[in-house]
Amino acid sequence: MLFGYLDAGSGSLILQAILGGAAGILVAFKAWKARLAGKKALTDAESDVDDPAVPADS
Amino acid sequence: MHLSDPGSFRDPASHIVLDGERIIRLLDERGLRAWEALSQTSFFKTATNDGRLIDADPLDSAPAGASGALEHPRVPFISYPYEWTFSMLKDAALLQLDLLMEALAEGLTIKDATPYNIQFVSGRPVFIDIGSFESYSPGEPWIGYRQFTRQFLFPLLLRARLGIPFQPWLRGDPEGPTAADMRRLLGFWEHLKPSILLHVALQARMEQRMSGTAVRDELKTAGFSAELILSNARKLRRLVEGLQWSGSGDGWIEYESCRHVGRDREAKSEFLRRAISAHSPHRVMDLGANDGHFSTLAAESGAVAIAVDGDEPVLDALYRNGTPVSIVVSDLTNPSPSQGWAELERPGLTERAQPDLVIAYGLIHHLIYTASIPPPVVLDWLAGFRCPAVVEFVAPGDEMVAKLTANKTEAELHPGRSQGEFESELARRFETLDTRTLGDGTRVLYRVQPLTG
Repeated sequence: MLFGYLDAGSGSLILQAILGGAAGILVAFKAWKARLAGKKALTDAESDVDDPAVPADS
Repeated sequence: MHLSDPGSFRDPASHIVLDGERIIRLLDERGLRAWEALSQTSFFKTATNDGRLIDADPLDSAPAGASGALEHPRVPFISYPYEWTFSMLKDAALLQLDLLMEALAEGLTIKDATPYNIQFVSGRPVFIDIGSFESYSPGEPWIGYRQFTRQFLFPLLLRARLGIPFQPWLRGDPEGPTAADMRRLLGFWEHLKPSILLHVALQARMEQRMSGTAVRDELKTAGFSAELILSNARKLRRLVEGLQWSGSGDGWIEYESCRHVGRDREAKSEFLRRAISAHSPHRVMDLGANDGHFSTLAAESGAVAIAVDGDEPVLDALYRNGTPVSIVVSDLTNPSPSQGWAELERPGLTERAQPDLVIAYGLIHHLIYTASIPPPVVLDWLAGFRCPAVVEFVAPGDEMVAKLTANKTEAELHPGRSQGEFESELARRFETLDTRTLGDGTRVLYRVQPLTG
């Protein structure tokens, strides 16, 4: 599905899973964890780039 | 020659154009696929048959640039949520949720959730945006959830839980209150209720924490399903259904008990019937309609009757009684203006109404004495409708005028309030076609037609 012209709101999208009941809470938890993992991977990648590499000529 | 509807441009897949009196929906490839999926469902047939969903007839050939085209019947009068009563917005919310659940049961979804997709025809809510339906892709959440809360649930909560009218808020901000706004407004005890805790407090918190992050793929991978949307929609339906607002203690709900109302009602009805018989109007605008008695008479003659009043409780009672009249909650000294994108998206009240007969019973003395509008200015406004009108004049000696002026001195009132002065001003703008004096002589009815040229 193409996302429409509407800003659905990230927090509201995750909340919907919780509002779906017990099964949804698990889905929300998994999605939350996946998001955190994604964020961590992104942060790690960014710090690899930002870390001053050992100068090639040293 | 197609003219774009200035209120229909947000959805790239589907938008309305006007071809004279015809209402045409143009579809792109994606919109056409969505229509084909919708038209094959059984709920589409059921909902169009029972009047909850607007009819749509596919055209044999689409205009250049479009992949498909549908024709819809014309909605007699367009109104906006900031002109609806509490029960109207509540019924619209229930319709939105019902159609979402019926669509999901057949593999479709509704991609937004705004009351602007709903109109009232013969006193019942009708979903008019066929383009909002599309195939449900497994794993996708309900995109319209946040919009549903802001434009339906939160305005209803404002009225039901806080006693605050939602119309001024929606008129000022058609997107509606945010969860954060509601969290600030609702008190501590309200937050102990699970529904408020989840839809308001938790949503506000999560929106703040997660703004701008992508979560769709994560939800899909985590196993999000249509069942979760259905479960949420069922619970939302129970929540909305349970919201009540009696309207008691507000407004002029005891209008009928006013002495002059019962005394003059039959004479005013007869005067209006004569006007309807003389002019055969198609669209009648009842200004200061109150309980809608005269609008209902106009509707019974076959006209589209538009009842405008600032008194929400009496209009809500009228709606709940199943009236065919179109209801507009609006203060006539500050009617709904043209607004939205380029000030064209949502036209002002008068532009939408286009009456060919105006009823102004029991109105102009309130404009003159309460709103302090000079009598000639009131008559200029009535002449501006450019159609015949039935007008009730109330003389300074009337008991209602005495009430309205109880705390005003002569110096605080505009001149020109006597019957002679009123008739003189009337003659400068209108030809008087009929007249009748009521009761004890302090109230006079006039049927007038604007002078031409």
